[in-house]
Amino acid sequence: MSEPRDPHTELDELRRAQAELVNSAKLATLGSLVAGVAHEINTPLGALNSNHDVIERALNKLQGILEDEVVTPDELDEVRKIVRAIDGVLRTNGIAVERMVKLVDSLRTFGRPDRADVDRVDLHEGIEGTLAVLGHEIQDIEIVRDFGDIPAVECYPDRINQVFMNLLLNALQAMGEHGTLTIRTRSNSTQVSVAISDRGPGIPPETLAEVFDPGFTTKGERVGMGLGLAISRQIVDQHSGDMEVESVLGEGTTFTVSLPLDLTEGEA
Amino acid sequence: MSDQQTTVMIVDDEEMVVTSIRSFLELETSHRVRTFTSPSDALDALAAEHVHVIVADYMMPGMDGITFLTATRELRPQAARILLTGYADRDNAIRAINEAGLYHYLQKPWDNEELKLIIRNGIERSQLFNELDARVAALEMANEELSEFRQKLIEAFL
Repeated sequence: MSEPRDPHTELDELRRAQAELVNSAKLATLGSLVAGVAHEINTPLGALNSNHDVIERALNKLQGILEDEVVTPDELDEVRKIVRAIDGVLRTNGIAVERMVKLVDSLRTFGRPDRADVDRVDLHEGIEGTLAVLGHEIQDIEIVRDFGDIPAVECYPDRINQVFMNLLLNALQAMGEHGTLTIRTRSNSTQVSVAISDRGPGIPPETLAEVFDPGFTTKGERVGMGLGLAISRQIVDQHSGDMEVESVLGEGTTFTVSLPLDLTEGEA
Repeated sequence: MSDQQTTVMIVDDEEMVVTSIRSFLELETSHRVRTFTSPSDALDALAAEHVHVIVADYMMPGMDGITFLTATRELRPQAARILLTGYADRDNAIRAINEAGLYHYLQKPWDNEELKLIIRNGIERSQLFNELDARVAALEMANEELSEFRQKLIEAFL
């Protein structure tokens, strides 16, 4: 007969396994984030890349015209054409750069690697930042922002944004290409709540209780490995907050996160 | 190539993309360039206008590029259809080759020289199709005339 195992060793192993699970879920979230950013950056990048080439070509043409120090009437028409092209690309350059600056701004709100600590933040900023990087998933989905006048919340912003990322991504993926996503924020004297509702197929009552269990997924192996909601629950618990789910088959699902205004860290 | 003015249609929901491509084509080619940020507006225009090449983005709200290009196939079968895609949309582009009768696809960020070349080849192809159609029509007409003539000959000898 084998020796009974030391409960401390077992506990350590369990903790290690849990840490690994948490890490893999973080990586999955990071994967979605990176894919989103890559997609969002591709359009302005494509425009800038093309415009850079146009300006080079335009300059070459102008230099060619000026080479013999004489500008003929025909060449003058060509110069006008070149100026029009430069004007067009410069205008788009401005728009493209602005788009990239906005994207980087929303990433800062989302990631905050430099401020991984506790901070008092406006949750709307985190929600907007997350929506911005999820732009490629949104397509024909209507986003309803039913935002209340909520006070800033003391929390770990990067972790809370990870919760928003998971919930918004789940909601979008539940609906596919069309639907309505509603984000409702409210507050009272002690807490703030964020409710994210989709118009997806809903979750059957018999599995509703399992959605926060690690490994629960309806999406197959591809996404998140079924840890998104388990991790989100854990993050919310860490903030001594609360997370609830309501779902009606054929109508949709609502996840509600409630966070106290002031952070008193709970058991993770 | 014939002397006829060649027309290129660019459809992308992003204004910056259509303006960039328009600026490039106007600088480097003599094609007439028509740009649209709404696929349904582009379809309306196609019903009335002849175009040689249609370049469309894949990811557009309302109507994706494949659906749009498939619809243009009905309206302008001779036009060469080019899909502009993001890196992750490659599989969709391959799907579109059959569905939309795609001529080519280009990945964003695109290369202008490659775009110019594909458009030029697309125009040639479209003009060849038009020419072929015109010749088939002429042949059919000649054939009809011949049949009539043969009928008259037979009648004359009966």
